[in-house]
Amino acid sequence: MKKTSFWVILIAAVALLAGVAAVWLQIRGAGATIANIYQDGVCIRSIDLSSLTETVTFTVEGPAGTNTIEAEHGRIRVSHAECPDQVCVEMGWRSDGASPIVCLPNKLVIRLENTAASATPEIDGVTG
Amino acid sequence: MKGMTTRQLSLMALLTAIALAIHVAEAQIPAPVPIPGVKLGLANIITVYAVFTLGAGPACMILAARILLGSLFAGQAISLLYSLAGGLLCLLAMLPLRKVLTRKQIWVSSVIGAIFHNVGQILVAIVVTGTPAIASYFPVLLLSGIAAGLFTGFAAQALIARMDKRKKQ
Amino acid sequence: MKHSKPARVLAVLLACVLLCACEKQEASVEGVTSSVFAMDTIMDLTPYGAAAEEANTAAEARILELESLFSVTQEGSDVYRANHGDGVPVTVSEDTAALLETALRVCAQTDGALDISIYPVLRTWGFTTGSYQVPDEAEIQSLLERVNYRDIAFDADARTVSLPDGMEIDLGSVAKGYTGDQVMQVFRDTGVTSGMINLGGNVQVLGTKPDGSAWRVAVQDPRGDGYVGVIEAVDQAVITSGGYQRYFEQDGEIYWHILDPATGAPAHSGVISATAVGDSGTMCDALSTALFVMGADRAEDYWRTYGGFDYLLVTEDGKIILTEGLADRFEPLGTWESSSVTVVKK
Repeated sequence: MKKTSFWVILIAAVALLAGVAAVWLQIRGAGATIANIYQDGVCIRSIDLSSLTETVTFTVEGPAGTNTIEAEHGRIRVSHAECPDQVCVEMGWRSDGASPIVCLPNKLVIRLENTAASATPEIDGVTG
Repeated sequence: MKGMTTRQLSLMALLTAIALAIHVAEAQIPAPVPIPGVKLGLANIITVYAVFTLGAGPACMILAARILLGSLFAGQAISLLYSLAGGLLCLLAMLPLRKVLTRKQIWVSSVIGAIFHNVGQILVAIVVTGTPAIASYFPVLLLSGIAAGLFTGFAAQALIARMDKRKKQ
Repeated sequence: MKHSKPARVLAVLLACVLLCACEKQEASVEGVTSSVFAMDTIMDLTPYGAAAEEANTAAEARILELESLFSVTQEGSDVYRANHGDGVPVTVSEDTAALLETALRVCAQTDGALDISIYPVLRTWGFTTGSYQVPDEAEIQSLLERVNYRDIAFDADARTVSLPDGMEIDLGSVAKGYTGDQVMQVFRDTGVTSGMINLGGNVQVLGTKPDGSAWRVAVQDPRGDGYVGVIEAVDQAVITSGGYQRYFEQDGEIYWHILDPATGAPAHSGVISATAVGDSGTMCDALSTALFVMGADRAEDYWRTYGGFDYLLVTEDGKIILTEGLADRFEPLGTWESSSVTVVKK
């Protein structure tokens, strides 16, 4: 049998590590302006939020219905979702890369990064 | 678990029903922070109680029944995966602790169980979405998990103490 | 073990969830691609289905036949004979006559924004040979005196054409479009119902993709690598003209190959990429060049007057202009997603 203090120190250490990691992520994510929208791990769209002058709204279809995404200068959010839990809507606006917006039912992740994740759209041919 | 008495069976059924009721009731409360996977996990009180008073087998069955039925009642099919992975890892972490912890340290198993529950959730989320970037939620999830684990842990410990006292009477 | 049954149920449920996640669809019909070098470019032909090989063989023969008619440099071609006819009417093939008729119609409709008699000016700039130079203004002006599609005497019924002394024509701005139409015809004749061809950037699609969905044709980004966006097309030609396709740089100035017949210099209309989408490859090829020269306002007027096609323009200030028929079929990509998009309506 270990002493209770052993367990308290162990748990406190894990909590401290998590806290440091959270702060580090916050610092690292500052200044990111390019919103990469991933579905099923594939970047389906990249938007440079710093270059937006007006609000851009578009929808993403997923197994749990439609997510409506709203992007404007410097920030992005899911404004409407057809899934029951609405967590992604409640996550609100994101203006830095500290943490992504996630819609688990639709396997959708919106992440602010420093570079556009090269969207590889399905293309049959190229004109020009 | 050699031969189950009627008493044991009805106790397990009762605990499953209570866990399920807590699970469904909690699903009606809006999440305290808008981060997927963050919740109080009150039904965990029953899991801790089952682990320390009934043993590995019954605890496993109660948890599995609660998760399967709970997802059916309150959630979507996809949340089943997260709960199963989280619940399984949580249980695997708790069981060995049963032998190590004193009656006054039961809360520790809940906290460590919560940590492993978070690990399971994040792993499934990474696999399901195919986006390792989701791991950036892990620290926040972990902090909230530890807090929730402390709460449910002390609640379970109090419950077990009360029940022990009743048995002695 | 008493709990083997719940464990089994659990395993089955898990397996179901995993199986649902793994399900995927696969295309069944394969395409056969063949590449032909003709008309100074690479032509990729991709018909789908059982007759694909046969269709490619027939299409290659047709392409080489058309090249021998439309070539400016090949002695004995219809165009070469017309350019060296010394004012005497030259009888041309049905293909050349059909192409000339369409080309001259677009020349007239666009009021000379497209002019097939610009060839001597294009040659002086070096765009036909690759030895680029900026000609002096006097030289351009003297060459421009002979540039005027109205002076081409073309008799569609007799299939004769005669040019005034010193005038030369070049069907380069429309020949690939016509060739595309003809390849589509060859595909249909051999029983192919689905296919795509890319004649040096001129994309033409037959039917839908084998899976029944529309073909997704990306428009090259005129500012560099990547794409402006994707146009969905069924049974149509998607043809783009852009200044980036052939150009040279001198003294910090960029000169591209699409000349404004009015000035004899590279066209600066504010448009840096013009894509025409429509049923006829010949029309789209002619129009993409004309739209590039005309610029946004004249393009809009032309489209309102004549219609029958859709277009997408990219302006030098990074804006996208498209006609209403493309509004639901165009999807911008990458950095273009945040560009302003103007939809032109009838």
